Formats: sequence, C-alpha cells, structure tokens
Amino acid sequence: MNDMNIVETALHELPIAEAGRLLRDGSVTSEVLTEAALDRIARIDPSIDSFIVVTAERARADAAQADADFAAGVDRGPMQGIPYALKDIYDTVGIATTCHSKLRIDNVPEADSVVADKFRQAGGVLLGKLATHEFALGGPSFDLPFPPTRNPWNTEHMPGGSSSGSGAAVAAGLVRMAMGSDTGGSIRGPAAYCGTVGLKPTYGLVSRRGVFPLSTTLDHCGPLSWSVEDSAIALQTIAGFDPLDPASAKVAIPDYRAGMTDGVRGLRIGVPRHFFDKDETSKEVIAAIDAAAQSLAAAGAIVEEITLPDYELFGICGRVIMYSEAFAIHEADFQNRPLDFGLLTWMRMTLGAFVTATDLHQATRLRRELAVAVNTMLLDYDVLLTATGLVTAPALADVKPGVANWPMQTMPFNLTGNPAMAMPTGFSASGLPMSVQIVGRAFDEAMVLRVGASLEAATKLLSRRPALA
Amino acid sequence: MTTIPDDEATLRIEFDVMAKRAGLQIPDERREWLFEGFKDMRKDLPLLRQPRTAASEPAAVYSLDSITRTIVR
Repeated sequence: MNDMNIVETALHELPIAEAGRLLRDGSVTSEVLTEAALDRIARIDPSIDSFIVVTAERARADAAQADADFAAGVDRGPMQGIPYALKDIYDTVGIATTCHSKLRIDNVPEADSVVADKFRQAGGVLLGKLATHEFALGGPSFDLPFPPTRNPWNTEHMPGGSSSGSGAAVAAGLVRMAMGSDTGGSIRGPAAYCGTVGLKPTYGLVSRRGVFPLSTTLDHCGPLSWSVEDSAIALQTIAGFDPLDPASAKVAIPDYRAGMTDGVRGLRIGVPRHFFDKDETSKEVIAAIDAAAQSLAAAGAIVEEITLPDYELFGICGRVIMYSEAFAIHEADFQNRPLDFGLLTWMRMTLGAFVTATDLHQATRLRRELAVAVNTMLLDYDVLLTATGLVTAPALADVKPGVANWPMQTMPFNLTGNPAMAMPTGFSASGLPMSVQIVGRAFDEAMVLRVGASLEAATKLLSRRPALA
Repeated sequence: MTTIPDDEATLRIEFDVMAKRAGLQIPDERREWLFEGFKDMRKDLPLLRQPRTAASEPAAVYSLDSITRTIVR
C-alpha cells in the first residue's frame, strides 16, 4: 500500500497553460520543470511502474531546445517546454517502441509517429514511454517483459487499460499529460480508474500513422490529462488532417479552449440510463453519475433521460470487429510463435479466429445502424452523459484469463466514432475514483470539453492526489 | 451461424474446426479457458442478425479518395 508522504515543490501541479505562462515570463525554465519531473519519476514510479523507459537524455535536450527557443523569441505554442509522455505503441525515432511485448522488444523505429512528431515540432519535452497492456489489449499481466502498472490510488488495484501507464503517470503527478490510444475504451478506462481526464477524439481527427494498430477501424489516439484544459491543449497540438492515414478527416480545427468556460446553461444533455442502471453496476457509480447530471442541471443544462439501442448490441458488435481485426494483424505470430504473447493477449485476441466473414460483415452493417441511432439522438442533444465503467478499479488479484471482467461502457463510441471524454466525478468509500463519460457530436470536441470544464469546476477534484503523489 | 448449437459437444466440434482452420496451436492448459471465451462470444453472435434493410449498406465504405491521396508520383 501507499505509505509515502513526499513533500516537494508543486511544479507538477502546474496546469500546462500556467506552466506556459511562467515559461514565457521567465519565472521558470523548461530545464527546471524537466528536472523536477525526472526526479519525481525516479522517486515515485518504482511503486507504480508506469514508465517502461525514461528518456532522460532526450528530455534534457528537448528542454534545452525549448529554453533556447524562448530566449530567441521563438514560440511554438502551448506545449513548448512542457514535459509529456507517450504510450509505448507510439513510434519514436531511435527509442524502442515495444508495445509491452516480447514480440517487439527490439523494435527501434526509424521515424516518429505523426503524434510524436507534432509534439516535437511543438517544443514538447518527451519524458519517456509508458506501459500498456500488451499490444493495447492483453493485461494487466505479470508474464510480459515489463511489470503491469499499478493504480496510484491503491497499488493493489489495476489502473485500467490499455493506456495504463498513461493514466497512472498522470494521476501520480509524474506528468501533466500523456498520450494514450483507445480502441474499446483504452483511454477512458484508465482515466476512470485513475481519476484523470481521458479524451477519445472523433475518429479521423488525430492521425494514427506510426501508432501500432489494435483494430484499425476502431483505433483512436488521444490524451489523458489532469485537467480538461490540459487535454484541450494536447488536442490542439495533435489534431489535423494526414493524407497518409486512410481514416484521417479533412476538417477545420477550431480553438478548443475558446468556449471552454462558457458554461452549460441551456445545453441539452441526454442520459441513456438503461446503459448503466444494471444489477452489475456499483451503486456508488450510479449515484456519482446522478450527481454529475444534477450538477450540470443546477448549472442550467436541460438533462433528460433518453433511450439508445440495447447496450448488448454495441458490445457484441465491437467485440467481433475488434477481435477479428486484431487477429488478422497478428495472424502470422499466432501461428508461428503463439507462446511469445502474454497469456491474456493470447486468450483475448485468439477469439478473432472464431469470427466468420459473415459475422464480421453483419457486425459492420449493425455498426452503421448503431452510428445512425447515436448521431440521430445527438441532433436533439448537445452531449450525452453516461457511465465510463460500471465499477471502480478491480484488484489485480481478481483479474482472470479470457474475457476482461471489468465492465466498461466505452465501446459504443469507438464503433460510432463520436468524441467521448471520461471525467472524474468523485471517489468510492474505498477511496477509488469514479467517472462519467461525456459524448459529443462528430468533430465537436469543443462542446465535450465545455461540458467537461463545467463539471470539473463543480466537482472540485483537481486538488486531490493519491497519497504517494 | 444464426443459432447457437444446443449441445456442448457440437459447440466443441465447431471450436475445434475453426481453430484448425485458423492454424491455431492451443496448449492443453489453455483449451478450456479459450473454449469458455468462445462460448461467451458465440452466444451473442445471433444479436448481429436482425431484420435490416439495404439502407444498412454499404456498411464498410470503400473510399477511393483515401487511396489516391496517398499516391505521389
């Protein structure tokens, strides 16, 4: 359990925007921010194992460049001089990208992923690569080359996945923002279990090129961060058309922070209560969602219960597509070196071998119908509000082989592609975070961020950190 | 596969045939775990088959633009 009580400067509590202001007025340097972060990682990360590798040399070089640019009057935007980290499925030139797997343990990319390159061009400071479930699917596992990440709020519990290192590192204050990926909830799940913000943007808004795929028609790249504004800044940095990503969308990129503090008065919020009001759902989680809805209503939003297609349709549709696409990517390794996969990866991904071509095509037809249903509902509502997960983070000891036994409600919006953001709403009696999910219209991340910012202001959770942090 | 076989022996035959067809090597100690996962997914597959019209097509849109925009002479 967590028994550390570290007293230190609060540099890690600086929002990205505030750190940027201090960098620009000369009150702090990127070198100072970076050394503080590296020191904090060295002291705290051994208890949560969120980093696979800390790229200290690269971070110091990035920081020096950022400081030199500031001194020369060069301003590359709000990420300049800001430490961040990447899930270890993002290609980074000269730095191993292992996917937390024995199968790619020696993989050193020759080029950056688009996202890594955008952060480099924006002057960000890369602190390192973060743990994931193997190939963004199989975990938490103890049979992989690196240990599984632990939840900073209780290290006997899992942090969610697959962007487990990203969620834990942000919650522990090791980094203000870290990139994750989300195929069925892998940004929003860790965000929920670790008590952070997690934003899955609209499908096609952020390039996936150079990010190892799990399921190409469901994969999304996005940030996990301590605050809504931090995610908005990260999204501003990485959003944009990429002609070499077949899914990339050519859309205008707005200023994501411009209307973020406009409040929710008059906005219409739909709550698909039938999604999460089930026997298997923690009563505390339901109460937390209700409290979030009441909070938004008290701030002037019009909150109404709505009905979407049965959740089970989204569930099987997503599983069939994800497992079959994932198995296709890894087919040769499953046939030639299957025991090099971790057990949980093997157990889950192998299910793709049992999907027929007709199953997959029926799933893609159903997917379209589900997307039509959700987006038709969003003609009448500015956002939807629903659960992220149905329970708080399970204990690591309770993780079973086979199908993941921690029910999430995230897959529907991978299928439809709508933007969806997990937001902290409070804590269970056992001290574990709880979360709600805000879902928006396609490419209307600005509205999702606006509602999230309103909820964040109401819940006042930003000052509560895990004891080890 | 619009219905679920009502006996486990038939399900096991289906499981074995599909595993063989996919070229899977299944260690004995994992076989039952995987079979349980297969059954769990299999029972939900009929949900994919519901009355729908041609309006559900094309489901997976082929986009020529996404190909031509990547080609540079």
